[in-house]
Amino acid sequence: MKVIIKDLTKKFGDFTAVDHVNAEFADGKLISLLGPSGCGKTTILNMLSGILPSSNGKIYFDNEDVTDLPADKRGVGLVFQNYALYPHMTVLENVCFPLRIKGVPKKERIERAMKFINMVHIEEYLDRKPAELSGGQQQRVAITRALIKKPRLLLLDEPLSNLDAKLRVEMREEIRRLQKESGVTTVFVTHDQEEASSISDSIMLLKRGVKQQFGTVDELCDNPINLFTADFLGSPTINQIHGVWDGKGFVADGQTANIPFNVNINKGTRLVYASRAEALKLNQDKKFDAEVLERYKTGKDTLVLLKFGAGSLRAYTEDRTIQVGNTVSIGMKDMGVFLFEEESGSRLL
Amino acid sequence: MILKKKRTNFDVDEKITFKTLLKPFLYLLPFIISISIFTIYPFFNAFLISFKENYKALSGIFSGFGLANYEYVLTNETFLLALKNTVTYVLWVVPISTALSLLVAVMLNRKSKLQAFFQTAYFLPLVTSAIAVGLVWRWLFNFDYGVINFVLSQVGADAINWLNNPTYAKVALIVYGIWSMMPFTIILLLAGLQNINEQYLIAAKVDGSKPTQIFAYITVPLLAPTIGLTMIVNMITGFKVFNELFALFNGTPGPAYSLYTVIYFMYEQFYVKYRLGTAAASAIVLFFIVMILTLLQLYMQRKWKNY
Repeated sequence: MKVIIKDLTKKFGDFTAVDHVNAEFADGKLISLLGPSGCGKTTILNMLSGILPSSNGKIYFDNEDVTDLPADKRGVGLVFQNYALYPHMTVLENVCFPLRIKGVPKKERIERAMKFINMVHIEEYLDRKPAELSGGQQQRVAITRALIKKPRLLLLDEPLSNLDAKLRVEMREEIRRLQKESGVTTVFVTHDQEEASSISDSIMLLKRGVKQQFGTVDELCDNPINLFTADFLGSPTINQIHGVWDGKGFVADGQTANIPFNVNINKGTRLVYASRAEALKLNQDKKFDAEVLERYKTGKDTLVLLKFGAGSLRAYTEDRTIQVGNTVSIGMKDMGVFLFEEESGSRLL
Repeated sequence: MILKKKRTNFDVDEKITFKTLLKPFLYLLPFIISISIFTIYPFFNAFLISFKENYKALSGIFSGFGLANYEYVLTNETFLLALKNTVTYVLWVVPISTALSLLVAVMLNRKSKLQAFFQTAYFLPLVTSAIAVGLVWRWLFNFDYGVINFVLSQVGADAINWLNNPTYAKVALIVYGIWSMMPFTIILLLAGLQNINEQYLIAAKVDGSKPTQIFAYITVPLLAPTIGLTMIVNMITGFKVFNELFALFNGTPGPAYSLYTVIYFMYEQFYVKYRLGTAAASAIVLFFIVMILTLLQLYMQRKWKNY
């Protein structure tokens, strides 16, 4: 089932939590809503589930307008951040609950539950209460409970944030596998760009309730629409050189660099020259000079930390002659290098 | 140089001796004195008195220890009637008042501008005098001028002689009992409801539950420990029913002596007939009934609360 949201808006008093968001989530895909806390991603999720009424705009499941449909009639599965398993029911009772309220006979609902239970490997804990389970086990039960009713849409609200680092990686692979097997359109809320990048078909990046960019991981990384997107995605964080356009060149830290530049901007405009760590070339091509502060060996590459002006830059290099304290020249590759206007954050190059 | 540890009042190394206990004991003394005189001593004394045969309250003379008082009480028709009435009262009042209180508590738990007003309104009966309220109920139940008979006449029913017909008098007592038990129950249940994490209710709704299903499958089971607690407390209160009876029937045990309760029987033996031995014996019988029920309910409550 595809999901279309049109001009979706949520206001809490004077505060606009979600501001005219438009998007189409394709059938069977996993879409991440990504952004810092307070960006409105959970609010959008709650409006999709029907828990929260929207202030404005429309939500369509396929061609059906569900904007005013109450949560119990939307047929969505929801996994809460803290799982919200019913504490007085056993694992099996929790998983069967959505079928029980539909009036499915006990024998049939246990049969149907067992299929899902075998998929997520929680057979051993059927008679336990949620309080007797670990976080990862509770997580599996919560996902099973959401999937058993064959939801039209699966919603996951930061489902991995309560797990330890190792389990988090394991569970996100598990979620991806289950999602692909069941083919259910899934919306995944997270503030972790790495998590979103590894799991999603597409990412919608939000900031203060406004959609910044919606696309595949590669689109967002290779073609960010603004400085916020470029800064939020990618690891290590994108390098930023802040400077001024003096009419002929880009001036930063007292050094002037030529930038192949054909956009007409005013002299004195403040700019940000941004580049991925893998897009910097050391001692090959010269735009700026910088001093080496640290070297970190990471696999076959070396990550070097460079001092530039008041800030620092990160670059990958294979050149083993570069030592701490050296001054190196920095050049830029063609891919992964962008130019933004500092004030608006909009992209120029 | 040996460093001497600074001593504090909570020093764990300190040995418990008579001297160290003296200070905390002094702090507790006022409480210990009052509870000893008014609760512990009378409790054990009542036990003792219940075994004293032909006990005279003023002179303290008795003929010997024995089970004569218990024999008298347990074969006394009035006591058996009192026991039957009390059990009937509890069996009607406790479940009905709990169910109605649950209904009111759920309604009060909804966010509303009038919530504060209703909470106060339902709390008010708890702080008013049972005797004064009883007088009001007497007027409500009045045969000629009572509001209840007025309402009945408006719907075409015959007026009922609430307070003078033994059958209806029992109904009147139960109705008043239900009403007087509700405020306390509502407050406890409301507190219990407010402790239920809203997330479970939202989860159940997203799982497709209708409001009645959420109530039956989520709210009530999660509230079960609180419901159990209020039922124990109300059962104990119900077994001690006296004020309601006394106020409603002007100090008599109902029309034609039909509405004796255990406490009323005890009161009559003690204050009217000055038979301290039988009064004490009936109190001890009541004590054991209440204790057995409480233990039973505590056991059930522990079974419910296994999450």
